[in-house]
Amino acid sequence: MLMHNDALVIENVCKHFNGIRAVNNLSARLPSGCIYGFLGPNGAGKTTTIRMIMNIIQPDSGSITIFGNSSIEKAKNNIGYMPEERGLYRKMTVRSIISYIGAIKNMKRTELSQAVPHWLGELGLQDWADKKVEDLSRGMQQKLQFVATVINDPTLLILDEPFSGLDPINLDLLKGIMLKMRENGKTVVFSTHMMEHAEKLCDFILLINKGEKVIDGPLDQIRANFTSNVVSIELEGDTGFIGKLPIVKDTKKVGKRLEITLDEKTDHQELLHNLIGKSRIRAFEVKSPSLHEIFIQMVGEKK
Amino acid sequence: MNKIIKIAHRDFIATVKTKTFLFALLITPILVGGILFLSTRLQKNTFSGPRPDKKVAIICPLVELSDELDVIFKNHNDNHSERKVLNKIYLTDNENTENPAETLKSEVRDGTLDACLIVEGDVLTGNGRVNLYTKNITDFEFFGTVRNLFTEAVFNCRYRQNNLSPELIAKLRRHVPMERIDLNAETGKKKNEIVMLMVPFFFLFLMFFGIVATNQGLLMSVIEEKNSRVIEILLSAVTPFQLMAGKILGQSAVGLTIVGIYGLTAYITAAARGMGYLLNAEIVIYFITYYILGFLLISSIFAAIGAACNTINEAKSLMTPLMMFFILPMVAWFYIAQKPDDIFPVVMSFIPPMTPIVMILRLAVRPDLPVWQIAGSIVLLVVSIPVVMWAASKVFRTGILMYGKQPGLKELLRWVRSN
Repeated sequence: MLMHNDALVIENVCKHFNGIRAVNNLSARLPSGCIYGFLGPNGAGKTTTIRMIMNIIQPDSGSITIFGNSSIEKAKNNIGYMPEERGLYRKMTVRSIISYIGAIKNMKRTELSQAVPHWLGELGLQDWADKKVEDLSRGMQQKLQFVATVINDPTLLILDEPFSGLDPINLDLLKGIMLKMRENGKTVVFSTHMMEHAEKLCDFILLINKGEKVIDGPLDQIRANFTSNVVSIELEGDTGFIGKLPIVKDTKKVGKRLEITLDEKTDHQELLHNLIGKSRIRAFEVKSPSLHEIFIQMVGEKK
Repeated sequence: MNKIIKIAHRDFIATVKTKTFLFALLITPILVGGILFLSTRLQKNTFSGPRPDKKVAIICPLVELSDELDVIFKNHNDNHSERKVLNKIYLTDNENTENPAETLKSEVRDGTLDACLIVEGDVLTGNGRVNLYTKNITDFEFFGTVRNLFTEAVFNCRYRQNNLSPELIAKLRRHVPMERIDLNAETGKKKNEIVMLMVPFFFLFLMFFGIVATNQGLLMSVIEEKNSRVIEILLSAVTPFQLMAGKILGQSAVGLTIVGIYGLTAYITAAARGMGYLLNAEIVIYFITYYILGFLLISSIFAAIGAACNTINEAKSLMTPLMMFFILPMVAWFYIAQKPDDIFPVVMSFIPPMTPIVMILRLAVRPDLPVWQIAGSIVLLVVSIPVVMWAASKVFRTGILMYGKQPGLKELLRWVRSN
């Protein structure tokens, strides 16, 4: 498949359900070869957007381009999609359901005979290959669902809330595979409402709330643009005076350190000036904002 | 196309491998065969097998008739030792004899007697009347026998009164042997009337079962897929139309398997009894044509209904009006088989969901239906299939991802109009 600079381009996409606005005028570019996170609280429009990308529902207006194609149908064989609503044929065996999903993505028998054992092994399901889906535990069914998603070695992986319901071990396993896929030049798009997952994985993010874009772009850049007003310091001697400074909004003791929340208009340097001479400074660190904080801050500003 | 076939293949295997399928496949012939066997067996027993003796009392005011009755009943009992009707005649030819009517009626009531026949007036001249008192009103065979015996006695008396010999009359009214012989049958073979009607009914049943029952399988399979939430994964690989087409194809293969097995079994059974001629190539070709067209037409409707509903119960309410189209020809089958050229069967032949069922029944009865009707009904089906499939695929596409409230007819029409 021809590699394209942008795996996905979403332009001015709108979607209403019975008069309720699910997605409003959303635009984003998703470069290929990266991990891209759709972030936002429940009901923000993440699943609706993903379903529109998959052409499962159609946007009221706007367009979605996949690898330069306006129709996803040609690209479907090279896409792996894990929906939020999960399920597989309960009566089929693990091996046959995976082979079936691969087959309808036009995989050949010879390809399947290698890919099926490989991916079952990767997710630790090899001993369950001949068991029926309904005999698997919930966690295993989750992993099986993931195998079904990646069986065709997709160029573009779209995962809707992939981490929900996973235990920490499987969570790391899944994250590891996602990172490995990026290393191999694949594009991974996933949605989550848990910001901390995105922070560790994403190269790019799209933050949405109530169907509208809050912010998008490279995660590092977004972080850089958001200076935090939290400073973590370690001082020798009495620190009581800090709380009384007019520029300080709040202080919190964290171990040996003190976390200081400054007045929003205040520069960190001003705090440093205030400290010099009054106390010996062992550490002075401007805390970088968490995605959670950025989100709160952005959504708060809009109001 | 490749994907459609893969979906069809999976659906076929998944359906055929289930125990329910095997059960349904076996139970229907067993049930139908069992009912046929039992009903003919029971009928035989009712009308010709042994049964306990019956007791009938007759009150008769006419000496001549009562003597004749005695002879007639005796004759009957001599000839039917296992189906006797024991009679006791109370002659009431003069005013002084006591009339036991009330006593006898109460004996019928308590079961000592099976029937009590009371003759009033001169039945020989046609002025009197006869009442038969019984408790069990459904024992037709017994009443028939009593009536026949009694009528025979009256006739014999009348013959004698007119100087005719009952023996001579009986001789003159000998049975005239007449048998219907079908020209299609092997030369000289007699054709059984029941068998003649069984053939159209068999085709009717096969068409009805092949279309309606297998489509219910399709409906359940769609609902199951919807409930197991596997749909979205499938739609990430195939289009909704491919999914629907694949499922229809898979289920039609299931249907053809069932129909093929039934058809072959029936043919082998018929052939083994020397009735293989009942099935000719022409009707088989008609059947396959109408079956495939009918299946394509109706299955897309069933697939759409399945997609729109969340449970079998919800689907039932949408299916009931549709089922009327299939039930009606089944209910009217005897009438259609008797009068295949009446206006109603002709009109029904041109109402698409009914067409295959009505046409195959008519063709089985009358292979020489007007060509315009055969051609017209096939064209009608061919034209309606894409229209119905188009509308159904729209409903399917929208419905397949809708969970929660069941849509009404209005909502379904809105889905059809939407893009």
